[in-house]
Amino acid sequence: MPELKVKGVTIVETFAEAFPMVGTRVIITAPTLEWAMISARTMTGFATSVIACGAEGGIERTLSRKETPDGRPGVAVLLFTMNTDKLQTQLRNRVGQCVLTSPGSACFAGLEGEKKLKLGASLRFFGDGWQMSKVLGGRRYWRIPVMGGEFVCEDTTGLTKQAVGGGNLLVLGKSHEAVLAACTRAVKAMAEIPDVITPFPGGIVRSGSKVGSQYKGQIASTNDAYAPSLKGAVKSDLALNIEAVLEIVIDGLSADAISEAMHAGIHAIAKGGSREGVTHITAGNYGGNLGPHHFHLKEIVG
Amino acid sequence: MSALTFELKHTPDQRLDLSPLVPAKLAGLNRKEIEALAINTTREALTVGDAFKVKGKDAENIRFEGTDERCDKIGAGLAGGVILVDGDTGTLLGTKMKSGKIGVTGSAGMLTGASMSGGEISVNRDVGDQAAGVAFGETMGMKGGFISIGGDAGALLGERLRRGLIVVGGKAGDYAGARMIAGTLLLKQGAGRYAGYGNRRGSLIFLEKPKDILPTFSDSGVMEFDYLRILEKWLREQGLRIRFGARARRLMGDMAVLGKGEMLILV
Repeated sequence: MPELKVKGVTIVETFAEAFPMVGTRVIITAPTLEWAMISARTMTGFATSVIACGAEGGIERTLSRKETPDGRPGVAVLLFTMNTDKLQTQLRNRVGQCVLTSPGSACFAGLEGEKKLKLGASLRFFGDGWQMSKVLGGRRYWRIPVMGGEFVCEDTTGLTKQAVGGGNLLVLGKSHEAVLAACTRAVKAMAEIPDVITPFPGGIVRSGSKVGSQYKGQIASTNDAYAPSLKGAVKSDLALNIEAVLEIVIDGLSADAISEAMHAGIHAIAKGGSREGVTHITAGNYGGNLGPHHFHLKEIVG
Repeated sequence: MSALTFELKHTPDQRLDLSPLVPAKLAGLNRKEIEALAINTTREALTVGDAFKVKGKDAENIRFEGTDERCDKIGAGLAGGVILVDGDTGTLLGTKMKSGKIGVTGSAGMLTGASMSGGEISVNRDVGDQAAGVAFGETMGMKGGFISIGGDAGALLGERLRRGLIVVGGKAGDYAGARMIAGTLLLKQGAGRYAGYGNRRGSLIFLEKPKDILPTFSDSGVMEFDYLRILEKWLREQGLRIRFGARARRLMGDMAVLGKGEMLILV
């Protein structure tokens, strides 16, 4: 069977293996978009991987004044964990420490879920008895007096158990510069897709991991098969001319959203063609036995 | 399907209790059965057919035409559906209603929306005393929902209000928000004396500075309230365009009781 190529870039016939997660969305507003972004970035700052951050999170998109409940500029944030209890804890801590504290901010539900997560319902206690609740159109908002005025926070937000984490693309190339440029382009293209985030720094992971390690207690370690400096020593998956591999990890509120993001990503990566220096696009999996979601690159590219 | 319409035949010479004429009680009845329903009155026994000309079929969508201030309890206990009244209504319009919508083109009498727990009432002109107040046998006033009054409201608006929002386009009478537990009154043209008397946690929002403020309301100064932005936007979505911005003076009270309520006076 001939190799599948897009603009000379080989699309390896494999699949990304992804896992079910629970996810939620909140909307953060502020007097300016800049301050809404500061608040959202702080809330999702240390949220690249559930391995050690407790949650995976990121900024989904910015919202215009028309799209927010208070008519101020806003940012939609997605947050994912492996179960509902952890998501509740992470949401409370992150909104409590990063949004409540942020000047002029307010926080609202961003998802109509079958189940609810507490938002203002737990943060209201910061008001020490001076908090006030207001119900408008069936939605409850808490007004919590703070030094900067009043922090308004919706009572609850929805959650979805249909979320998927760990959709991914691995990009191989003949120079670090080429791979980074292609991946940066891809992250930008994926940012346009609703319901997904790329939680790693700038959307890109440079240190993909394998499960386990030779050291006791280390649950993940470097993916040696894709480390270009180890080509001569380990059973490498890389050709000799590959200088760098970068990965884009995608979390989404649904499997379809991840497919769509991967589609946009692949085409953005291949846009520069093989001439740019990108040689392969592949994906990470564990043989297919661990994660129920398989995103086959061949199907996604079409 | 056309709206089930009740057209008043002639001016009633006694008060009419129209509480049976709600969707839940009319569903599945044909016109003859509806016309045979009894109406509670004060003197002579009466059926629906005696007082009204009945037209249309859709019991989820009821219209009253030509009603006056003796037509009481329209939409009482409403639990879904729409009632439109082309005319005035008597007392207890939409009392104890749970959901659905009532619209009145004219004025409504006393105890409009008393102890209602949900849904929406809009009255284009005035309402009588004790709107959103305490229905007979109840301990609390309105417990949820939305009332919009185009004209003036009588005394004791929102008495013992527990939850919900009331917007008054005109003036409210004395004791607006008296003894209110929580909830919100938005008064476009102020209120009479003793507004917020005994207010525990409720909000009285004044678009204009009221002439008379109880001494038991304590000034917290002017600041921005994001809640007012949410309220303004939500009202606009309901078709009420009221511009009031986010800056307001906050007075807390009534300090004679719990003191966690507020007056927000827009600046």
